[in-house]
Amino acid sequence: MRFFTIFILALVLPVVMGAAIHKFYASTTKIEYVPQEQSLQIITEIFTDDIQQALSERNLREVHLDSKKQTQADVLLLKDYVFKKFVVFVNGAKQDYNYIGLQYDVDRVKLYLEIPNISSFERIEIENKILFDTFEDQQNIIHIKTPDARRSLVLDKENPKGLLNF
Amino acid sequence: MKLLKFLSFILIMSSACFATAQDTEPIKQERKAGHLNNNRFKQLYQEFSSPNQYRSASGAPGPAYYQQQADYKMDIVLNDDTSVLYGTETITYTNNSPDVLEYLWVQLDQNVRASDSKTSLIEANGAAPAQQASSFVNSYMGEAFDGGFKIEYVKDRKGNNLSYTINRTMMRIDMPKVMSPGDTYSFDIKWWYNIVNHTIDRARSGYEVFDDGNKGYVIAQFFPRMAVYSDVEGWQNSQFWGRDEFALPFGDYDVSITVPADHTMDATGVLTNRKEIFSKTMMNRYNRAKQSYETPVIIVTQEEAEAASKTNVKATKTWKYKAENVRDYGFATSRRYIWDMMAVKIGEKDVMAVSLYPPEGNPLWEDYSTIVVASTLKSYSRMSFDYPYHKAISVHAKGQGMEYPMICWNYGRPDAEGQYSERVKYGMMSVIIHEVGHNYFPMIVNSDERQWTWMDEGLNTFVQYVAEQDFGEWYPDAIAPNKAYPSRRGPAKKIVNYMGGDQDFIAPIMTKGLNTYNFGANAYSKPATGLNILRETIMGRELFDHAFRTYSQRWMFKHPTPEDFFRTMEDASAVDLDWFWRAWFYSTDYTDIGVKDVKKYYVTSKMNKQVREMIKARGMKESDLPPLVYLVEEGAEDFEESMKTQTLNDVTTLQSYIMDNISPEDRAKLKNPSFFYDVTFEKPGGIPMPIIVEYTYSDGSTKRETFPAQIWRKNDKEVRKVIASEMEITKIMVDPDEETADIDTDNNAWPKRKKLGEFKSFKDKVKN
Repeated sequence: MRFFTIFILALVLPVVMGAAIHKFYASTTKIEYVPQEQSLQIITEIFTDDIQQALSERNLREVHLDSKKQTQADVLLLKDYVFKKFVVFVNGAKQDYNYIGLQYDVDRVKLYLEIPNISSFERIEIENKILFDTFEDQQNIIHIKTPDARRSLVLDKENPKGLLNF
Repeated sequence: MKLLKFLSFILIMSSACFATAQDTEPIKQERKAGHLNNNRFKQLYQEFSSPNQYRSASGAPGPAYYQQQADYKMDIVLNDDTSVLYGTETITYTNNSPDVLEYLWVQLDQNVRASDSKTSLIEANGAAPAQQASSFVNSYMGEAFDGGFKIEYVKDRKGNNLSYTINRTMMRIDMPKVMSPGDTYSFDIKWWYNIVNHTIDRARSGYEVFDDGNKGYVIAQFFPRMAVYSDVEGWQNSQFWGRDEFALPFGDYDVSITVPADHTMDATGVLTNRKEIFSKTMMNRYNRAKQSYETPVIIVTQEEAEAASKTNVKATKTWKYKAENVRDYGFATSRRYIWDMMAVKIGEKDVMAVSLYPPEGNPLWEDYSTIVVASTLKSYSRMSFDYPYHKAISVHAKGQGMEYPMICWNYGRPDAEGQYSERVKYGMMSVIIHEVGHNYFPMIVNSDERQWTWMDEGLNTFVQYVAEQDFGEWYPDAIAPNKAYPSRRGPAKKIVNYMGGDQDFIAPIMTKGLNTYNFGANAYSKPATGLNILRETIMGRELFDHAFRTYSQRWMFKHPTPEDFFRTMEDASAVDLDWFWRAWFYSTDYTDIGVKDVKKYYVTSKMNKQVREMIKARGMKESDLPPLVYLVEEGAEDFEESMKTQTLNDVTTLQSYIMDNISPEDRAKLKNPSFFYDVTFEKPGGIPMPIIVEYTYSDGSTKRETFPAQIWRKNDKEVRKVIASEMEITKIMVDPDEETADIDTDNNAWPKRKKLGEFKSFKDKVKN
């Protein structure tokens, strides 16, 4: 029965899907290309309880986020996980991130990442497998903004990668 | 002659901006083709159907409005061991239409999970690199579970078999003779089906198995239900594919439900054999609950529920209910349920707010569920009409969020240690508000969910936002440390990502739910946000609320269409909103308005260059003109620094006019603007929103001004406005509170300023 899976891409991270709708598994990532700074600025938002569950299951221990019990090691696990599952290629080349930081917003964790030294932006390939290991119905939604264009991608288990030309 | 020259000059002046362009460019363009009326403010005569005797142009039900009635008498038996539901029902159908009916259509929604269901066949998919075993079995190894209806018979009241034809989720019943207008026809159906485990198969109804092996049943769409026959659709003929929900006629229900004797149940309708069912203790607690307006009273405690969970008795009990004027029926039953209730005053009446939850729901459920139900009833009653039923029940079922008359299932479960995250807590509160709110839309304002998801989900999500904010105000401790309830939907800003997204994945709201790309944003968030913008920005709360209440009250216990809503909102407010419906509901347009350019002008009595050139070209002399007041742009050839400090009194032509024509008392009342700004607003987006402008003055003070959306009626791309000000303006900002869902705010300010984005502000914060 697939009426939930066809319920794709609610782009505004709704918790309540109301009638007949179950808990919604989605992350949203905003990527903006800022030519003046020659950088890609990335904010990725993930439900805190979902990522906490995934990290606990992967590491066979209780991982705590947004709680007094949160440790440095927990944050490191989160960072490593996101870096591993979320990969960006610009003009064909795999990119490394500058990790700027994270903050919690009610029920979500937001990670701020930056990819410096992007002098031209023609092609971007994004792989986002965050939480595909834990939730069958996870959708990872990507919004990309440049000074002249806005594009979106919806990645799921069946299509974890997307390519956009600008 | 002089007068004539002057008149022609005035004509030239008034068309100056066009004249300049035409003077410099020789007209060589080919003549453009004609066009239809593409004005964004054109009325919706083509989109709307004509008003008629059934539905009036005002948006109210017409003088010949009718609706069918379907009454049910049902005996239901649950076999808890095998999870099979058995039922016999008598449907009494009344034809209130002016039409002769040759056959009846009955809905068999459970057939969506029959072995031959076509639902999965309409979903395109690609090969998945990995799949859960259960999903693999369902996809490639045949259907493991058959949850379709098994119809044992369809008979008339005399016991004669009736012929019937099943077309997937619908069944046609052929009556021995046609039904004339006003006729009533009764028939019996006997059926059973295998109840699905809703936590595995993601159904709206079914059971979950608790760790101790007991089951919690939330049962709905469980009986063959009459389809709607109406003036707009005839027989509803859109199959149930699993997403678009239900269209059901109103009727009276008389239902007996037999379950194990140790179960606790609640259901749609008045429990008529409470004395047989309740123990003395329960009855005492129930009587106390009816007097308790602040806190819930527990009818079945956690200890009692846990004790019952160990019994598993073989005896059964039959719960009897009567419900009047409902469009559907649902019940929830388990031996693991805790039960609490409180009273809430709605108008002159007491309504019971009720919760039913297993111990797995605690500590969250005993703390919040029932007060959230009570709070929701108050908010929705204020926004629409007094809740007409005697109770509203919130049942806790894992992963559920689904509504039926008087009863709904809701998610939100703490972990095994009783811990819960903010997401679980607000998810639970929001889903309860949402599902209880569905009592109003569509259980009472009974729109066709199968066709128009937004009519119930969108309207309900809008009122949900109001109710969430009310709850935050009324129960500040429940939402601490937040100052306001963290609503996910409603505020304009929250729809920007969706509306500014890729147009290939956006459908207009006026699209059947099944055919939309982005169901949640399309049918829930966007219509809810649109109504919020109408209420807060375009109409104002007073006009909006009156119109919204008028719609709700006109159509309570009736079947409205989208046009009935659109028409009523305009009719009851005297605000022509055709442009808004067209843009927000019928198109995928988005809002983007900005300040394109600002020119500063000063006033002088000296003729400026433009006018000098103009009169020269026409062979006129300065003396041919009467005294005029001239505007000079800052930095232009005629501009002098002294103009910046002069007052209007220094402009001799103006001063003489004032002295000669205006009395001393009136002179004192004149404004004295020295700064003139020619502002060009641009509109790269399609939606013609009002231009909300905030001016910041040199002393730091601000002033706001709103130009109604109709400012865009003649030029859809840009408009100019001259702003006269006594003080220098240092900043002009469009939509300062981000209340119009403007998808790109980079162009919203003059002087152009790169808005510090969320990323940049966070980065700066981290650095410091």
